[in-house]
Amino acid sequence: MKVISKGDFTSFVNGMIQDGSSKVVGVKEKGNAFAFGDLGTADELRLDYDVTLLPPKKYFFPQRETLLRFDRTNDSAQSVVDVEPMVIIGVHPYDIAALQQMDAVFAESNADPYYMKKREAAVIIGMNAVNTSEWNFAASMGAESVSDGYDIMLTDLGGSYAVEVGSSKGENLLLTHGAALREANGEEQAACSSYSAPVGKSLDFDAAAIPALLRAHYGNEAFWEEHSEKCLKCGSCVLVCPTCYCFDVKDEADLDLKGGERYRTWDGCLIEDFASVASGENFRGTKAARYRHRYNKKGDYLNERFGFTACVGCGRCSSQCLPDIADPVKVFNDLWAVADTKPQAIESTPAEISPGEEYSFVPRNATVVNKTAMGTTEMVLELKLDDGSELGHQPGQFVEVSAFGIGEAPISVSSSPTHRGTFELCVRKIGNVTTKLHALEVGDKVGIRGPFGVGFDTEFFKGKNLLFIAGGLGLAPLRSFFNFVLDNRADYADVKILYGCKVPGEMLFGNEVADWDARDDIDHRMTVDSCTEEDTWEGNVGVITTLIPGVDIDAEDTYCIVVGPPIMYRFVIKSLKEKGVPDDKIIVSLERRMKCGVGKCGHCQMNGIYVCQEGPVFNYADIKDVPEALE
Amino acid sequence: MSKPRVAIFDFAGCEGDELQIVNLEESLLGLLGHVEVVTFREAMKERTDDYDIAIVEGSCTRPEDEEKLKHIRECASIVIAIGSCAAIGGINSLKNHLDPAWYRAEVYGDKADWFDTYKARPISAVIPIEAAVPGCPIDRDEFLHVVKTLLLGRTPDIPNYPICVECKKNENVCAFDRGEVCVGPVTRAGCNSCCVNEGTKCWGCRGLIDDPEKNAHMEVLEAHGLTPDEVIKNFQTYFGWEGDQ
Amino acid sequence: MNGTNLDVNVHHITRVEGHGNIHVKVREGNVEKVLWEVPEAPRFFEAMVVGRSYKELHHITSRICGICSIGHTLSSVKATEAAMDIEISEQDALLRRIAIHAENLQSHVLHVGYLVLPDLAGVGSVIPLVDSHPEEVKTVIRLHRLANDMSDLICGRTTHPQRIIPGGFSKIPTMDELYQLKDDLAGSVDDLKAVAGVVKSLAGAIPDFTRETEYIGLVADDEFALYDGDIGSTVAGRIDDQDYLEFVHEFIVPHSTAKHAKNAMDSYFAGALARVNLNYDKLSPLAKTVAGMFDLGPEICYNPYMNSIAQLVEVVHSVEDTIGLIDKIDARGLEPQSPYHSPDIDVKAGQGVGVVEVPRGILIHDYTYDSNGLCTKANCVIPTNQNHANIQLDLEKLVPQFMDVGDAKMELLCEMLVRAYDPCISCSTHFTKVIWDRK
Repeated sequence: MKVISKGDFTSFVNGMIQDGSSKVVGVKEKGNAFAFGDLGTADELRLDYDVTLLPPKKYFFPQRETLLRFDRTNDSAQSVVDVEPMVIIGVHPYDIAALQQMDAVFAESNADPYYMKKREAAVIIGMNAVNTSEWNFAASMGAESVSDGYDIMLTDLGGSYAVEVGSSKGENLLLTHGAALREANGEEQAACSSYSAPVGKSLDFDAAAIPALLRAHYGNEAFWEEHSEKCLKCGSCVLVCPTCYCFDVKDEADLDLKGGERYRTWDGCLIEDFASVASGENFRGTKAARYRHRYNKKGDYLNERFGFTACVGCGRCSSQCLPDIADPVKVFNDLWAVADTKPQAIESTPAEISPGEEYSFVPRNATVVNKTAMGTTEMVLELKLDDGSELGHQPGQFVEVSAFGIGEAPISVSSSPTHRGTFELCVRKIGNVTTKLHALEVGDKVGIRGPFGVGFDTEFFKGKNLLFIAGGLGLAPLRSFFNFVLDNRADYADVKILYGCKVPGEMLFGNEVADWDARDDIDHRMTVDSCTEEDTWEGNVGVITTLIPGVDIDAEDTYCIVVGPPIMYRFVIKSLKEKGVPDDKIIVSLERRMKCGVGKCGHCQMNGIYVCQEGPVFNYADIKDVPEALE
Repeated sequence: MSKPRVAIFDFAGCEGDELQIVNLEESLLGLLGHVEVVTFREAMKERTDDYDIAIVEGSCTRPEDEEKLKHIRECASIVIAIGSCAAIGGINSLKNHLDPAWYRAEVYGDKADWFDTYKARPISAVIPIEAAVPGCPIDRDEFLHVVKTLLLGRTPDIPNYPICVECKKNENVCAFDRGEVCVGPVTRAGCNSCCVNEGTKCWGCRGLIDDPEKNAHMEVLEAHGLTPDEVIKNFQTYFGWEGDQ
Repeated sequence: MNGTNLDVNVHHITRVEGHGNIHVKVREGNVEKVLWEVPEAPRFFEAMVVGRSYKELHHITSRICGICSIGHTLSSVKATEAAMDIEISEQDALLRRIAIHAENLQSHVLHVGYLVLPDLAGVGSVIPLVDSHPEEVKTVIRLHRLANDMSDLICGRTTHPQRIIPGGFSKIPTMDELYQLKDDLAGSVDDLKAVAGVVKSLAGAIPDFTRETEYIGLVADDEFALYDGDIGSTVAGRIDDQDYLEFVHEFIVPHSTAKHAKNAMDSYFAGALARVNLNYDKLSPLAKTVAGMFDLGPEICYNPYMNSIAQLVEVVHSVEDTIGLIDKIDARGLEPQSPYHSPDIDVKAGQGVGVVEVPRGILIHDYTYDSNGLCTKANCVIPTNQNHANIQLDLEKLVPQFMDVGDAKMELLCEMLVRAYDPCISCSTHFTKVIWDRK
């Protein structure tokens, strides 16, 4: 172990600042609090701080960060990865632990270059905490000290710092700037090893029991309602959190309306509209549900995914909550107190994450080759990728469609992969992007990201009996699979389709529906919720569930594929179950707010599931116990 | 395509929002590449009824102004209310909770009868509008955002979350942690928490978010030592009209 | 002149802040009506602040005027400080002087560059000048932006400042930021000279018209008074600012409902021309040079149209004086403070007056507080209201003098006269409705 006198450390820091090859940031005073900021001189450093207002994640995942620069004149876009070498001085162990968690989140599957490149360019000089806030419970979360995750770690020994080198980056930094290190003497070694982190408060139980505790009390509505009653839905608790990573993505055009940027900005699941979609549906519409989601995401869902509890006990959320309802210690201790049976502590080990392929959010260009108005608010766009490639989708997958300067919208592919050369999107005019898409002309371009998610497993269903049930716009994603089946009709056994819409005028793909009549290898039934005499509708009138009792299927041995508006599922599934269809033979496709499409931004989550990655197509048996799925 | 024709009007207000448009400096020249300003009393002599977009500052504070607003509505296909007075009623609505006989006499003495006035109200209380840019004064970047998005055919992003979101992103020390009180938790964001960034607090000039947690916030204010009367005054500074709706 | 008929009806005079109407009626060479009318909607600020805390008054009264919001804020905090005997530091006093220069620059550049130049150039607005005089317009924009950057830096915003609070500032700039500002100001001198040159080249369009009147403004022994001083008059000496009522006599005009102000004469003039007339010898060197280009000197100028020129002179003075103020702050050593500074204030009952010079003239806020720091009485005297009577009397002299120029020219002369006062009519704490009947 090495030691550096505080005076020499100051010289070392000033040397780095004067050298100027890296930005040097550290903890400084801000009013009566502390914050990481640019250092003009080492004298500004306050390594005796208790906690900073924001964690150092802001340097790797900034509050607002440009992802792309786009040019509307030629529909092109380029990724902007803005990296500056940086030394960060004074990071407390709990914040280092949090950064390690963020590393896993951003490296997983679609690795995020914006985060990772910045992280690679930074040297972390950690600091074992001298002071702590009254809210800090890092010790309860096992994050009061860390054995890795830093390049250099300092421990205050009074007149000097003990220096532990954690990486070659750290070692090089000390060498390059001539840090006046000496070997620690025995007394210093002893002082360093007897260091114990200051504690603000503590959990009443082993934090390893948190996941089981949360699961046991997920349904304790009274608890969540009572605890969230005073929530201001201000988002402070999640915005100051070192392990929160949810973000929104927006477009801002330049003043010339030609260029512009697509940027991401911090978002948070406690903010009311976090899970709202363009149609107005809010998939987490109550304070209690949002509040519960926060604790479960941190305490349970991410634990299942990554093997860590996404809370390091920094206490920032607690300190920033005006009604004082965000303190995890209080919430977890309260839960523990009301638990009749105390769940077991189960130690989890962080999953090994090897970075996935980098994903930069740059769309591919596609050109409109045909557009067909349909229904009352729908338009079918036939698109061709400009690079000549096939979209390569699985039926049921979706793409993110870009109109630069407007934004992106998730839209299911409604053509079958058997349809080669182009693909089709059925677009309902409901928000800004879809309004813009409706206004496109043949020859205009859009950006396409994806296809994303899990669709219908066409191989799995081979040889099976299939009952398709589509409500309204649900026919669009369903059609992708249905047409695939029709094009490979011999591969599938009995095939039936039920299709319902509100009024006859809203029927989609009417020409294809007419073709169904001519086929004797499929059975189809249609219904409308209501009609007038002018509609000359001769079919069934009633909601789609009214068709189900009369349909002739082998209930035990038919896969029922259901796609429709959120409200439809509960009723259709009930009817199917009444008919004797087992849970695992019901397949659904769920709508959520898909923003990033790559399992990062957090918007589409239902409980622990990222719908954009693990869905939108699910086997009902897999999600029936996921409370947020079909609530 | 010819450039959209823009007319700028003001009602009861301080004209600070129109000043923000002038303060766009070089960006204003950029904007003039996309639109043609045909009426702007504060800056130009010409005036006309032939315009596509009307930008309106100030509250409606007297019945006679309703006719002018209706005329503007007939002329314009897009009406944008700018500033707190036009968007939410603004500071003018402070008087909405005072006794009219008293405040008229307080200012004009025995000549009070000469002056016609009623409850200050936002433009949207008189005519339907396409967009509102709240703020006292408006944020220049947000104004540009609104104009750009409307020119691009999309609705502007006017946040529906409270100031706290921006304040946290800006790493401010919370006003409540400095012995101040603030209405940021119920106030619509979009200003980048500009007042707190300058060392003060949120006064509420952008109005309430949809469905604000007013009761929870009042409890917070009272817990920080405010009397019920002080709580009401904090809410009335800018929420005078909205709070009554 | 006999037989001349004139009808000038300017509804909603343009390129001024706020609404004003001018009516002139001449029949057979007889002036039947000259009317300066302000139909601005009343806003009742003096009533709205009653019952509000001393911590809020400057925030609320700043909203009286978006153009002079820094001045209103300063006048307001000075009144509160006077009422509660709050001392501010010398550093804060220096920074506040820069704040008022920032607003003077902002407003004067706007007025001279965007509102008056079009008159002198014979066009309806600055927009045609963008094409015909691109370099000149860009110069004006550069200066205007500098003024706004200066406001941002000192006040935290260009309009409705945040940093100025009773007892000091909530946040102050760093010395590095002040050095940068000093550099920018020093670098703007060429732009200032260019603008002065442009105005000089068009100065022939300034009407030759004078009317003797009283000029009132702040005066001080050691500086060109803007932030602090006694109230001075060109005909009645000087008084302590707390005694403003000795000079500002509000009165009711026969057949009118409005409060007007006068002192020793029938009306008085407040604004840049008053300040230059009162304090010419305290102007900065370059400001005096620019004044000389337009024959403004130590002797009193009675041409109201020259107010725009006095504004131009003040622009130059504000730039030079701010550089000196930054040097003073530097020499003292900038005392840092918390970015959320909240001065300790001993709240007590009292009455106090805050007087500052704003772009359009002397501005007075007068508050009375109870022992809880709640306002019980407020009086705000706005420069434009002080000038209404002077505008009316000028119009009454102007119309007969230029009677034979025709409707259009008369309309322009009248409008230019009103615009020369740079009236800020939206500041309607007192609603001013002027109806003269001279039939």
